[in-house]
Amino acid sequence: MEHEAATAAHSSLLWLIPAFPFLGMLINGLMRRRMPEKAAGILASAAMLGAFLVSLLVFLDLRALPHHGRALTQTIYTWFAVGDFHVDVSFLADPLSAVMILVVSGVGFLIHVYSIGYMKGDPGAVRYFTYLNLFAFFMLTLVLADNYLLMFVGWEGVGLCSYLLIGFWYTDYEKALAGNKAFIVNRIGDFGFILGILLMFATFGSVEYGTVFDRAAGFPYGSAVITAITLLLFLGATGKSAQLPLYVWLPDAMAGPTPVSALIHAATMVTAGVYMVARSNLLYSLAPVSLTVVAAVGAFTALFAATIGLTQFDIKKVLAYSTVSQLGYMFLGCGVAAFGAGIFHLMTHAFFKALLFLGSGSVIHAMDHYFHHAGIKSNAQDMRYMGGLRKHLPSTYWTMLVGCLAIAGIPGLSGFFSKDEILWKTFASGNYGLWIIAVITSGLTAFYMFRLLYMTFHGDFRSAKGHDHPHESPRVMTVPLMILAGLSVVGGWVGIPHVLGGGNQFEMWLEPVFERGQEIAALAHAGEHGGATELLTMLFVTLVGLSGIGLAYLFYLRQPKLPEKVAAGAGPLYGLVYNKYYVDEIYDAGVVQPLKATSNHFLWRFFDVKIVDGLVNGTARVMTEFGTGVRKIQTGQVQNYALAFAVGVVVIILAFVL
Amino acid sequence: MDLLHLLNQGLFWFFVVMTVVSAIVVVFSQRVIYSAFALLFTFFGVAALYLFLAADFLAASQVLIYVGGILTLIIFGVFLTAKIYTMDIPQQTHQRYLALLPVVAMLGLLTYGLFTADWKTVTPAAEPTTKDLGQLLLTTYLVPFEVASVLLLAALIGAVRLARPMQEEDRD
Amino acid sequence: MDLSRFNLITIATPLVLGAGVLLVMLVDLLSGRANRRPAQLAALAVVLAAAAVCLATWNTGGVSFFGQVSGDGFASFFNLIFLAVAFLVILAGPAYLERNAIHFGEYYSLVLVSVMGMAFMAAGTNLLVIFLGLETMSLALYVLAGFNPARQSSNEASLKYLLLGSFATGFLVFGIALVYGQIGSTDLARFSAYLAGAGDPFAGYMGAGVALLLIGLTFKMAVVPFHFWSPDVYDGAPTVVSAFMSAAPKAAAFAAALRIFYAPAESLGLPWERILWILAALTMTVGNLSALNQASIKRMLAYSSVAHAGYLLLGILAGNELGAAGILFYLASYVFMNVGAFTVAWMVNRRGEGRYDLGDFAQLGFRRPLLAAMMSVFMLGLIGIPPLAGFFGKLYVFTAAVQAGYVWLVVIAVLNSAVSVFYYLRVMVIMYMRENEALKDVDRIPATFAAVAACALMVILLGLIPGSVLDVARAAVASMP
Repeated sequence: MEHEAATAAHSSLLWLIPAFPFLGMLINGLMRRRMPEKAAGILASAAMLGAFLVSLLVFLDLRALPHHGRALTQTIYTWFAVGDFHVDVSFLADPLSAVMILVVSGVGFLIHVYSIGYMKGDPGAVRYFTYLNLFAFFMLTLVLADNYLLMFVGWEGVGLCSYLLIGFWYTDYEKALAGNKAFIVNRIGDFGFILGILLMFATFGSVEYGTVFDRAAGFPYGSAVITAITLLLFLGATGKSAQLPLYVWLPDAMAGPTPVSALIHAATMVTAGVYMVARSNLLYSLAPVSLTVVAAVGAFTALFAATIGLTQFDIKKVLAYSTVSQLGYMFLGCGVAAFGAGIFHLMTHAFFKALLFLGSGSVIHAMDHYFHHAGIKSNAQDMRYMGGLRKHLPSTYWTMLVGCLAIAGIPGLSGFFSKDEILWKTFASGNYGLWIIAVITSGLTAFYMFRLLYMTFHGDFRSAKGHDHPHESPRVMTVPLMILAGLSVVGGWVGIPHVLGGGNQFEMWLEPVFERGQEIAALAHAGEHGGATELLTMLFVTLVGLSGIGLAYLFYLRQPKLPEKVAAGAGPLYGLVYNKYYVDEIYDAGVVQPLKATSNHFLWRFFDVKIVDGLVNGTARVMTEFGTGVRKIQTGQVQNYALAFAVGVVVIILAFVL
Repeated sequence: MDLLHLLNQGLFWFFVVMTVVSAIVVVFSQRVIYSAFALLFTFFGVAALYLFLAADFLAASQVLIYVGGILTLIIFGVFLTAKIYTMDIPQQTHQRYLALLPVVAMLGLLTYGLFTADWKTVTPAAEPTTKDLGQLLLTTYLVPFEVASVLLLAALIGAVRLARPMQEEDRD
Repeated sequence: MDLSRFNLITIATPLVLGAGVLLVMLVDLLSGRANRRPAQLAALAVVLAAAAVCLATWNTGGVSFFGQVSGDGFASFFNLIFLAVAFLVILAGPAYLERNAIHFGEYYSLVLVSVMGMAFMAAGTNLLVIFLGLETMSLALYVLAGFNPARQSSNEASLKYLLLGSFATGFLVFGIALVYGQIGSTDLARFSAYLAGAGDPFAGYMGAGVALLLIGLTFKMAVVPFHFWSPDVYDGAPTVVSAFMSAAPKAAAFAAALRIFYAPAESLGLPWERILWILAALTMTVGNLSALNQASIKRMLAYSSVAHAGYLLLGILAGNELGAAGILFYLASYVFMNVGAFTVAWMVNRRGEGRYDLGDFAQLGFRRPLLAAMMSVFMLGLIGIPPLAGFFGKLYVFTAAVQAGYVWLVVIAVLNSAVSVFYYLRVMVIMYMRENEALKDVDRIPATFAAVAACALMVILLGLIPGSVLDVARAAVASMP
């Protein structure tokens, strides 16, 4: 009894989770002019900490409940009611949303703290924190919503904040334009999403999760209408989570401040699509076609983005494509009905990708200050001007190394467990083609991440001028990095698979949410006892990852040192081999260019410009033709208008009289 | 009795013809001044028709307001406009045949209704209607009566605005 | 004499407005030559006072003055809408009027007198009162449309509106006369009773009478084929006036239509349904398709408001409580979106009054991010994207139509909404995507900005608490006698 009372008390706290950042936003927004920059940052961070603590409380409450009864709801008020259809503003905390709120508020808190250091001295800092808190409010609403409409509100809200934050330095035209690209592309996705919700309402007469899923369970497997709903929702997801074909905005979105990239474009907002698919697991399981689409889009995006990631020199662009690629993994997991694995990777990815982004932010911060100080006009994000930063930014280096190891899937780190889970479930579900794609991607990922690491931190500093060098970022920035590094190591230990002697507690935790969907998809526990096969594939994937790292090592560390030794004795060879850009060029001509030609000229140009734009413009043109015809009647002559009027009068009277 | 009835009928048709013919002149005349004067006969004709309906007050106010007020204003306006005699005001008829269609249809409909409707008829009261009207205007129709005065106020403000010179410094 | 028959509470709001008109004129007369601020402040004070009176007398009036008016919740609800619009255009207006050198005190008195007419349209329970209210409103609008005599387009707009408006009024009066001829009264209660009692409600002249009443009102709503004036007039009129005209008079016309046709909705029968069905479908479709490739934001918004009249007709056609309450909600949100959008349109106009090119919005997205965000709120609201107010307006009205069995019409309406996405989103695309055209910067006008912000907040707020507002609207509809 005592226990139940406590639960009730905490479920009524749910509203506090989004309320904290909302309050922070209000205070910072209203006091914009009088708020000192530092106070704004502390206030915003405190709001996030509050949200995190309440989330933790809710999580503990949920744990205390019986396995299948883990759900807390709180209805704030009835939003609107029409006939017997009503939608509440109501929050739901179950194992899935508990994971999400912990990740969002936890990682969000760290990034807020980091931002205090990063945004120091920026005249728009107060506005920045206002937007950041507003974002957190919408994101928490999104994951806590207990119905699709409220989720959509959060969905739109995070999009708005994303746009505002990408275009944060709106005096910079390029950056503002990037914000706009994100905005427009997301509109296309959101249009699909809202159509999906409308169709869902028309089909089930509700948009509330519980009711929708209960009613959907009565539909036949493979039902056309559910397939349509899920595909429309997935269109929304491809927009928000930057999947093919709507991924284009995410790399451009890197124009925003780096902590924003970490929070919104890596750890949280972009994963909203994955969350939505996982939340709708029952619907997707009923629509095998949609599941296949999700899996295929995920796998292809993963590979596609990874190949582009190989070629980028902008440190944030590499991470951006990497994010697109990793999101592809998550969708692949969901697509093979391993929703738990998808969410697991979502969580670990939030840790290590936030870490990597913040690390890159630290690098950029340092480079920017260095360039400014040394009077060099250069691009602070271009890795070709970096190198050897290990000495100057030790904390950043070591934490980023952990991040790279985690994302490369080195055994024992978080990324290993979550990625392996997805790969194994893909294999076990018989999607060998997709599995091969995913494995190749895994190798590429390891390669480009270590390319990034080596180019940035190893070798010689390529922008050296005098004795000056970049300096390590302040502790307010490095401490969050360390915490995230810790999480990137241990974050995966909650989901150690059975075959390695773990209990896969993470999957057990999420089981109540996914079990109905997985039963329908007939994949329940399919991959749980793979035994030797599972171990073998795991080993194979690990080897692929290691060889990716090895290859990067060969290309970016071994080769440039080799010419150094040769250069001492052999003069003529010096120019040829010493310059490590030669290696780059050979690599470029042999591997990158063909890939790039395909990705750049075919996929980017043709796919984006011809197909996507063409489709949109074509539809618009047909409509416009109609408009022109109708407009011809509008002559401007009163006589014509009066005639039309009189004809109308006669017709209407006739209708009444006859 | 019969003779009186005949006279009555004759007068009635006389006024009907006068009203309609002068109205046609108003519409089709090329000269504004002709139209203005033809309007005089139309207004008179309408007033006379009101009398046939035993609406004495209405007939009187028709003459007072329309003939005495509005028409005079129009004619003054015409006189005060320079060169209005020689000015050729274009009065082409647009979409002549197209317009005929709804007009004929409307006429047909009204005529059809005229002969099929179940009209409410009252015997005309012998005494003047003024007293009843006065009472109604201050009781049942008080609100419409007052709103009508607001309407006139709106017209007044509007007229002032339109008549006033545009420039700020020209204001008196 | 029984004085209780003259219950002034029923017309308290229009009375305050009437007194206010005189007050504003007096203040304007007494203040200096080039100083119009006192008149503006007086007008704002009058609107606030009227709003306070409106809230204080909410649904306390009842039928009075020999059945001529009813001071019920319905009238109060609409009065609040009209007053809100008046407040916004009076608050936002001076900057525009100054810019065009047409800042005259009559602007304020005409807006107020027009709103007074609307108040009588919403409160009238007799065709005569409704008619007189409509004329008072229109007369002021005719002058307001021509408020910029130096501009030919403004004069043309005024004249066009006057000519076609008088044409429509003629039909309306004719309709009233025919109804009177049939039932011997202009009282709405008698009107409903007659329609309910008659075997064939449209026998004799009644059919033509009802048809003409409908036509007279649909003209003011800008329903196809009586809409042709609206794009020309909205386009030519001074833009502050367009903002006012596209919002409040439309609401007033729907108020009058509900007053007249809501009670006898059941007994209007097949011809009524058929005609309204066709009018609604035509209006939505023509409005939306015409709006598609307008280069002028004013014309685009004009056609968009035609389309919205079509959606709103669904509520009238549905004839049920949700339909009527839905119209109230819809209008309450629609007026803010439209006033906001028109106001932003003139704020960002950078090529002079003659050209309201959509290109003016280029780059607004990051030159004035907040202003652009608010414009986006209006555009998304007009599309009907949840959770903005526009969504719920459509939801209620469409649901009411489905409940009444007009599924196909709702399908047409939803398809139309989808078409409208193109032109509303185009504004946003231009704001956020179009290249720098080296236009001059948008002026910062605090008062106008505040008015726009108030509109945006209302669009969001009504979307947050649509349920409670709908309850008020339901109560308002139920309070009609």
